[in-house]
Amino acid sequence: MNTITFTIERFDPDTDPASHTESYTVEINEGARVLDALHAVREQCDPTLAYRYCCGSGQCGSCSVRVDNEPVLACMHEAHDEMAVAPLNLPVEHDLMVEMESYLQDLAGITPGIFSGYLTMDANEAIRPIRDCIECLACVSECPAIAVADFAGPAAMRQEMRIALDPRDDRDRAALTVDEGLFTCTTCQRCLEVCPKHIAIPGKAIEKLREIAHREGLTLPRHQAVADMVRSSGRTVDRIMGTVLEQVAEVIEPVGEVRGEVGFFVGCMYNSRLPETAMKMLAVLRRNGIRVIIPPEQVCCGSPLIRTGQTDYLPSLQRTNIECFTSRGIDTVLTMCAGCGSTLKNDYDTPYRVIDINELIAEYGIEPPVSSSVPMTYHDPCHLKRGQGITEEPRALLRMLTDDFREMPARCCGAGGGVRSGLPDVAANLGRDRREEIAKTGAAACVTSCPFCEFHIAEHSDVPVINITTLLFEAYEKMDEESGVDPGWKDLPCRIINPKTAE
Amino acid sequence: MVNIMPGYHVTDCHVLVIGSGGAGCRAALEASQYGETMLLSRTLTGKGGCTVMAEGGYNAVLAEGDSTGLHFEDTMRGGAYLNNPDLVETLVSESPDRFRDLAAWGSVFDMEGDCVPAQRPFGGQRFNRTCYAGDRSGHEMIATLTEQIRNTKIRQVQETSAIDLLMDGHRVAGAITLDRDGNLGVVTADATILATGGGTRCYDISTNCAAGTGDGFALGYRAGATLIDMEMVQFHPTGAVYPPDSRGRLITEAVRGEGGVLKNNLGERFMERYDPERMELSTRDVVSRSITTEILEGRGTEHGGVYLDVTHLPAEEIERRLPIMLEQFLQFGVDIRVQPMEVAPTAHHLMGGLKITPDAATTLPGLFACGEVTGGIHGANRLGGNALADTQVFGKRAGEFAGKTPAATLTVDVDEILSTEAARCEAYCNGTTAPHVIARELKQTMWDNAGIFRTAEELNEAEVTISRLQNLVPKAVHRRMLNECCTVTNMLTVARLIIHGALLRKESRGAHVRSDIVQNWTPEDSPFGHTVQSIFGTSIEEKGEKA
Repeated sequence: MNTITFTIERFDPDTDPASHTESYTVEINEGARVLDALHAVREQCDPTLAYRYCCGSGQCGSCSVRVDNEPVLACMHEAHDEMAVAPLNLPVEHDLMVEMESYLQDLAGITPGIFSGYLTMDANEAIRPIRDCIECLACVSECPAIAVADFAGPAAMRQEMRIALDPRDDRDRAALTVDEGLFTCTTCQRCLEVCPKHIAIPGKAIEKLREIAHREGLTLPRHQAVADMVRSSGRTVDRIMGTVLEQVAEVIEPVGEVRGEVGFFVGCMYNSRLPETAMKMLAVLRRNGIRVIIPPEQVCCGSPLIRTGQTDYLPSLQRTNIECFTSRGIDTVLTMCAGCGSTLKNDYDTPYRVIDINELIAEYGIEPPVSSSVPMTYHDPCHLKRGQGITEEPRALLRMLTDDFREMPARCCGAGGGVRSGLPDVAANLGRDRREEIAKTGAAACVTSCPFCEFHIAEHSDVPVINITTLLFEAYEKMDEESGVDPGWKDLPCRIINPKTAE
Repeated sequence: MVNIMPGYHVTDCHVLVIGSGGAGCRAALEASQYGETMLLSRTLTGKGGCTVMAEGGYNAVLAEGDSTGLHFEDTMRGGAYLNNPDLVETLVSESPDRFRDLAAWGSVFDMEGDCVPAQRPFGGQRFNRTCYAGDRSGHEMIATLTEQIRNTKIRQVQETSAIDLLMDGHRVAGAITLDRDGNLGVVTADATILATGGGTRCYDISTNCAAGTGDGFALGYRAGATLIDMEMVQFHPTGAVYPPDSRGRLITEAVRGEGGVLKNNLGERFMERYDPERMELSTRDVVSRSITTEILEGRGTEHGGVYLDVTHLPAEEIERRLPIMLEQFLQFGVDIRVQPMEVAPTAHHLMGGLKITPDAATTLPGLFACGEVTGGIHGANRLGGNALADTQVFGKRAGEFAGKTPAATLTVDVDEILSTEAARCEAYCNGTTAPHVIARELKQTMWDNAGIFRTAEELNEAEVTISRLQNLVPKAVHRRMLNECCTVTNMLTVARLIIHGALLRKESRGAHVRSDIVQNWTPEDSPFGHTVQSIFGTSIEEKGEKA
């Protein structure tokens, strides 16, 4: 037997004005689950503790709770000392029990009788990956879009897609889901992260429903405009300033010894809206011995099209973006845009390795920068944290750059999934939530590593939002100022547009 | 002082279905075609019961070469010929249609070709007859059924227990209910269906969900219904043995169906000694006894089990066909793709229960029953895959015949009945012993003394313990605990019924093994029929007579 002490968030609707946290010390067996620890509390401390459970084997979806702020199934998650158990982020009925009935009741079923045979292999294979839902509502409780928009939520969208794929139902699910808020989802992937059955709701349900909506002409006008732009120019944004690809040479040799070589996939946002940020990153690599090759014919990765269901033009983009690197014999391609990185890693079948700038810095190591005393917080870009599983590398870097790093909860800023362009009000609501969280930390700057987050949070934040490599660039500048030595790392070689016309 | 004054209310419906597992959901869907139907769940609809956690599959004669005659014979032989042949006939002949109903409602079972359901081999069957959705077959069924229920006007009353049947003379006229806050209520109905599932939570080591406490057996018994073969407790051969709190968790028969082999600590495939022909896919009673014998004779594993090994199968096959097993074991630090599982028998299914006709009618007017709470379908040992089929075949029949019951007028004074129930609740508030303390001792004595191998001496010892526990009054320190007190009272009733049945049956047959009795007959020519128990008396049928 082991003794553990942990807390439970309690609320009795008959007596408590608000929830409160209680601490309990109980004896539990080796390998006990959270549910066993709750049973122990009821038997050893307080028999009135209220919580749901039934099957005890991860199949009925009754017992989801939050442990240390992450939703888990209490019957499957191992209990540990000092854990904090709380109800899901849904209306609390009593202690750990939340209101589930009304949501479950609204989940759709197929209309029987239209076609009643068995499924074909293809239909079966298509439905399978989104069929395992146990309706635990962890996804619903964590979805940022539900909190600020009229959105039926991930579990309902998954169910709608499951029905859309079923030949035994012939209702128009896409039109229905557009009304249920299909376009409010930012594809932040929080639902996938917390799903005990690992159902890829954004990729396998939301984006697929948007594809159907697109075929039915239900795409939002602003999303359509972006797709038109990509078709005509290869880019999601128009040219309002000199781009990275126009200004910088195709090959950037580092100062000093060459320690590595990568191709660079610039991405529309850094290329055309934040070129300064990209060029500062390139300077940082130049200082640190990395040779960078930048094929000028690269185009948009297609992420905005995939996220909004407009995938018909995607194969042509993919071909161009693969060939421009392989034709130069590049085996590693660097991204600094979290969205492009996630897309190249998850939606492409690339013959080269894709590496995010934060991974690259962690892998190759860098000249240690000077640290500042400015309090800073870090915003996890969804496409970096959940799209690529990168969370520790930027934190390690940031701890080199400030002595006062302050954490805040990771949550979508609202910029993703086409929501910022398609439904700006929804995106703004999520952006304001970020402002509040940043303010709570008391940080003087918010650091991040995604152009969409940088742009969007900056609109709502009271403190500056800085790209992590820009911060590194500035630290090196400061070091040079103090030492009075500048080895010329900031002067990127310029691109010669066309030697013949230049003559 | 706890306030137990009930803020009760009375509601009426045509058909009341108690229990929202596979049988209850199917019954409610059928009954709703005949009139207003209420589905009472002690959990959230579809989240309770054992169907949702059933892994292996659903037996149905679908393929060419198979026949309902073969399915009938396999079921009778597997059940040691204690099955009621009429019920078996109904099961095997209607199971395929009920499977097609599920398909029409949107179920996504595995296919082996376009529109051809895949079927896997299961123990004790001569044909690959078990339809499946990976190893989440029951979940697939419940998902399908709850989706359909949401499409209907069925009234779902959730997180509310039935604590007694409402009696109007000899007729069952609904139920007394207790919601999760401890408020009493009454539901009146023209017909009532018990679909409360099984009760092997009465054993220390069990596969059942938390709701598998056998309340329906106790409710029916108290109301005067006849129960048969309550001693027939199926011990599933393969339950988890480690860590301690996970003991008993079901390791699906599909693991063996897909080719898993059993080995002792010497690496021997010991089933060669017990059933060389069928090996790991022998019937569950045989495999459970074989495993127990290996462990008792010192050839078990570190944690008191034997090895169940699928490491010889390709990893991708395990990932596709046994995803839940893989995931569950990973959560406990075992990768079944490269490491063997440790398993031991676990109490799984009650074959006995309320006596029913093929129309799902019990011996009480107005009361129907379906699913695991009934007896007679599976005889002395149930074949894997027959339980899910049972829920659909008899769920449909219970719903249909309850639905066809004519409207009845209530002649009983509901207030009087409620005051009796309120007094019972009051007594729990003044009780002596925490319900979990009673439950723990009950489970231990049942595991130790009414388990896989039984003797009169041990059964009597269990009875003494149960009697002592029945003299304690479970204590509710808050009215929200009244449900738990009712449940532990019901568990004691079920335990007593199992023990009495086991004492009555002086033979070894199927899952019931009396190691203190020497017999010279095979199951086929046994002189005994069903054990029969009701509040009016107990007996065992002998050849040539009917109880």
